[in-house]
Amino acid sequence: MERDITLTVNGTEHELSVEPRTLLIHALRDEMGYTGPNVGCESSTCGTCTVHVDGKAVKACTELAVRAEGSEITTIEALNEDGELHPLQESFQEEHGLQCGYCTPGMVMTAAEFLEEEPDPDREEIREALEGNLCRCTGYQNIVNAVETGAEKMRTETAADGGTVEGGD
Amino acid sequence: MATEERRSGPDGVETVDADDVDAADILGSAIERREDPSLLTGDAEYTDDIQLPDSAHAAILRSQYAHARIEGIDTSEAEAMDDVVDVFTAEDIDVPGNLPTAWDLDTLRTVDHPVLAEDRIRYQGDALAVVVAEERYQAHDAVDRIDVDYDRLEAVTDPETALDDDAPVVHEEEGTNTAFDWEIGDADETDAAFAEADHAVGIDVTNQLLIPNAMEPRAAIADYDDSDDELTLHMTTQNPHVHRLLLSGVIDHPEHKLRVRAPDVGGGFGSKIHHYADEALVALAAKRAERPVKWQATRTETYLTDAQGRGHETHAELAVDDDGTIRGLRVDTAANMGAYLSTFAPAVPTYLYGTLLSGQYDIPAIHCEVSGVFTNVPPVDAYRGAGRPEASFVVERIVKEAADAIGMDPTELRRHNFPDPDEFPHATPVAMEYDSGDYDKTLDRALDLVDYDEFRERQERAREEGRYIGVGLSCYIEACGLAPSELVGELGAGAGLWESGLVRFTPSGTVKAAVGTSGHGQGHDTTYAQVVANELGVDYDDVDVDEGDTDALPQGMGTYGSRSAAVGGSALVQSARKVVDKARKIAAHQLEADPIDVEFEDGEFYVAGAPDRSMGVQDVALEAYLAHDIPDDIEPGLEATTFFDPDNFVFPFGTHVAVVEVDPDTGEIEFEDYVAVDDVGNQINPKIVEGQIHGGVAQGVGQALYEGAEYDENGQLVTGSMQDYTVPKAEHIPDMETDSTTTPSPVNPLGVKGVGEAGTIAAPQAVVNAVVDALEPFGVEDIDMPLTNERVWRAAHGNGGDS
Amino acid sequence: MEFDGTVSIEGVTMDEVWLALSDPVMIKQALPGCQFLVEVEEGDVDFDALAASAPDEDPPTLPEASPEDIAERAFVEGGRYAALMEISVGSVSPSFETVVTIEEREFPHMYAGGEGSASNSSFEMSSWMDLVETEDGVDVEWGAEADVFGRVAQMGQRVINPVANRVVGRFFDSVESQISDVSTDDSSGLRDRVSGLF
Ligand code: FES
Ligand code: FES
Repeated sequence: MERDITLTVNGTEHELSVEPRTLLIHALRDEMGYTGPNVGCESSTCGTCTVHVDGKAVKACTELAVRAEGSEITTIEALNEDGELHPLQESFQEEHGLQCGYCTPGMVMTAAEFLEEEPDPDREEIREALEGNLCRCTGYQNIVNAVETGAEKMRTETAADGGTVEGGD
Repeated sequence: MATEERRSGPDGVETVDADDVDAADILGSAIERREDPSLLTGDAEYTDDIQLPDSAHAAILRSQYAHARIEGIDTSEAEAMDDVVDVFTAEDIDVPGNLPTAWDLDTLRTVDHPVLAEDRIRYQGDALAVVVAEERYQAHDAVDRIDVDYDRLEAVTDPETALDDDAPVVHEEEGTNTAFDWEIGDADETDAAFAEADHAVGIDVTNQLLIPNAMEPRAAIADYDDSDDELTLHMTTQNPHVHRLLLSGVIDHPEHKLRVRAPDVGGGFGSKIHHYADEALVALAAKRAERPVKWQATRTETYLTDAQGRGHETHAELAVDDDGTIRGLRVDTAANMGAYLSTFAPAVPTYLYGTLLSGQYDIPAIHCEVSGVFTNVPPVDAYRGAGRPEASFVVERIVKEAADAIGMDPTELRRHNFPDPDEFPHATPVAMEYDSGDYDKTLDRALDLVDYDEFRERQERAREEGRYIGVGLSCYIEACGLAPSELVGELGAGAGLWESGLVRFTPSGTVKAAVGTSGHGQGHDTTYAQVVANELGVDYDDVDVDEGDTDALPQGMGTYGSRSAAVGGSALVQSARKVVDKARKIAAHQLEADPIDVEFEDGEFYVAGAPDRSMGVQDVALEAYLAHDIPDDIEPGLEATTFFDPDNFVFPFGTHVAVVEVDPDTGEIEFEDYVAVDDVGNQINPKIVEGQIHGGVAQGVGQALYEGAEYDENGQLVTGSMQDYTVPKAEHIPDMETDSTTTPSPVNPLGVKGVGEAGTIAAPQAVVNAVVDALEPFGVEDIDMPLTNERVWRAAHGNGGDS
Repeated sequence: MEFDGTVSIEGVTMDEVWLALSDPVMIKQALPGCQFLVEVEEGDVDFDALAASAPDEDPPTLPEASPEDIAERAFVEGGRYAALMEISVGSVSPSFETVVTIEEREFPHMYAGGEGSASNSSFEMSSWMDLVETEDGVDVEWGAEADVFGRVAQMGQRVINPVANRVVGRFFDSVESQISDVSTDDSSGLRDRVSGLF
């Protein structure tokens, strides 16, 4: 009852057989070894499992692996390029936007997609955008700061490049 | 949120890159954390990330009922399934399998706590059977195929009902649900104080059960090597050595053949201190299967099994004079212990609670009685703050009520009862001796930040416009770094509460530091390296820190109770100083001087009065290992280990102020401001301190407004998933303004106090006091936490807000 | 959890409603996700065997069925019935093996108790029903009290309540439409034959 599928993760094609019920997060972590995204709730609430599917932030615990066939999946592992941290990753470090780090990959992936759409958000908009990502350690304030700072960096980079910034996708 | 504009407040402390900091300034600098790049890129290794070759997956069957007799367990269907490797129940194991309680009290009824339930279920998280299968999903499928024949019994979940004569008895053989009765303070003196005082004010408060909610669920992977009997357990733990010791007894495996390792750990907040059945079951499973076995709790499983926190029902009375002088405090608490006594559970509502009831005040007489009560909920044990939030909540709520009752401003009543800064060390009637403090300072700073005087006028004007704003204060005290070991032993601890720190130079002059604490988000790699680099005068980047592995470290006690910096950090300081002492002798020998004449500064040894005769400590390290030319009475090598056992606790303190607006028509609460002024002694890294305060406050605000484990009358957890239990989201938590004063602790060489729990201890009563203050025109005196919109609305409309 | 409600059905008589609600076949059809509903003896119930022997097609109900046949198979006081009910709750669809006992049955009142269990979840419930004659028909007043245990209970009331409401709602919708069929189809003198039974 397993099915053979091909998933493209961070630009690499993987062939694997999964059960129809296998969640994308488990396929990523258990089958393919992408352990950056984490599992925190299995109920689409905490956001620790967030990855990009065709550029959209998706909770990989609510997506079936078989349904992701043919999509481009990006995980936190591919957000930094050539050993350089993505501006958001940098700003999370600078602003102390993480403590235990368990929520962080999901936070960063959600924020990255959000900033694509809203490059200059205010604090309230950031808090709203992160409503599907829970953090038990930081109290969010430094995460909001990190997203603000990251947005600033991305805007500067965009202005400098005259193009768009999207690490890794 | 009221704060839309980014202002100086939320920005907080600015971080710096370690490379941009002078070596001499490394201690106390807000340097960026070195652990972040791996956590930010997905390189981190949490327990469930570990993939050992040939590993199998375990799943554990929990009970359908909170209280039941087990009539039979049929595992045959599960066993017959493809890819099921092993299924076992209590009948199949022949180890002691009894989870110990590591804290004793005189009246404590110690009850058995089997890792697999034998004939009786006492809470839903009780494990009935373990399935090991090739894959994660198969293990869970097989668990669903196990058939259990239960005889359901009536359940009881709240401690006051459990003390009724006709309540179901959780441990039948004990004949009562009373786990212990404990008291502290002097009852007669307290009665006398009440008899003499002008007023007595009483309150009833509930401190609801909370689920800790570390974002990483508990997990373990066990690896057993039959040929040499070596058993390795990678697990989510805050204290690997304690787990190794306890586990070795539970599964009867020699301690020296057991290795417990904490990989990256995704938060703990107390929940990963305790020894649960699960890690023992995973270890047993690996030994039975002779292959690695992995288990990770589902979120619902963590809700059913992680030790919960708080769970107090308290009646308190304060004796106070017309002029605001507090004469006495009387407290009576029923503390929910849950179904069994978890690892340190008996200490939490007793020595971590009753001893803190003096708060920041000079109270001449206190008496506190606590009944620990068994119920059919998960075991209750330390959750961030552990006893101290409950104490601070009682004190700060009743002080506010007293101020209202005698018509005094709550800040004035508090101030009137502070001990003077020169009265430290300050002894309380509940056995504590506060190390140092200056309570006016944090209060003044906080009032300044919220512009308190102006606020009262603003409140008046707002009320005239039909808007209800309120201010709430919390002047908290915390005790952390429990010590010394001899004392905690007298109090009942089954362990010492020292900490070890090893400092070792490599021959090339870099430094390895190893500490027995076990961080899980606190940034220990960074802060300990700051401490060691500062002591040795070496470059910060030359210091590497190891934690969390029983095989790689000296014996340790772990991270909890905000103890790591105060106790572990101090152990490192002492070891570094020992290393410097030894290096001084070698340097003196090399410089042909008397060690007494050799000075040490910024990593350099030099002969007093002849600064050009000098040698760097890193060069000394090489000489120490070459050992070609060192003094005769000195051994080669350059390292030292210290087991630091402080003389006393440390007592951080501070004032938190919440300013809220309450809409009486909807019950909605909005923060206008949240100010935290904390004094945690010297700060090793102010940014990390700030982060701890933020996170702590968020959990405190969560308790005040959103959280609570709820059970139905059958003991079924109805907040069984993250969709039902409200972990605060980004939108729920206000921007906070944090500030600090510094009153160094005399108890340890770093002068630090501890910061991990301060925010959680301080926040709930600041928020509740603010809401009550806002609703004063409605005659509201109290609302039970969490202050949901409905409860607030009811309170404002005079129908049973506090029920 | 407690539920109660009143369903008003117009243009029917007490006897008709009573008979319809006494028919295990109609109840089975009205219960969403119910695989079978049959009378069983005391003792352990072998649900696998019952599932295997359950007929593929239900016998006719009112108005097609003859009232005599229904009276023949109607619930009896003290009777014990087994049902297999599949109910979707959140992401899971447990099949509850359910046994119901009709504790009281005296026109126009019925009281039943039962319990059901599925892998890792179970429920216990009691329910009652009274018929009340109104000006233009019959009110079915009903109530139920249920305790839910295990995995389903952990999903919390936010998940369970809507499910319970959905099951109850569909049940009465279906009962209502079936009984309305009875009342509109009076060509064969069914009404007389029904009342003749009492
Ligand atoms: S694990 Fe996917 S949202 Fe929590
Ligand atoms: S950093 Fe620990 S959960 Fe967010």
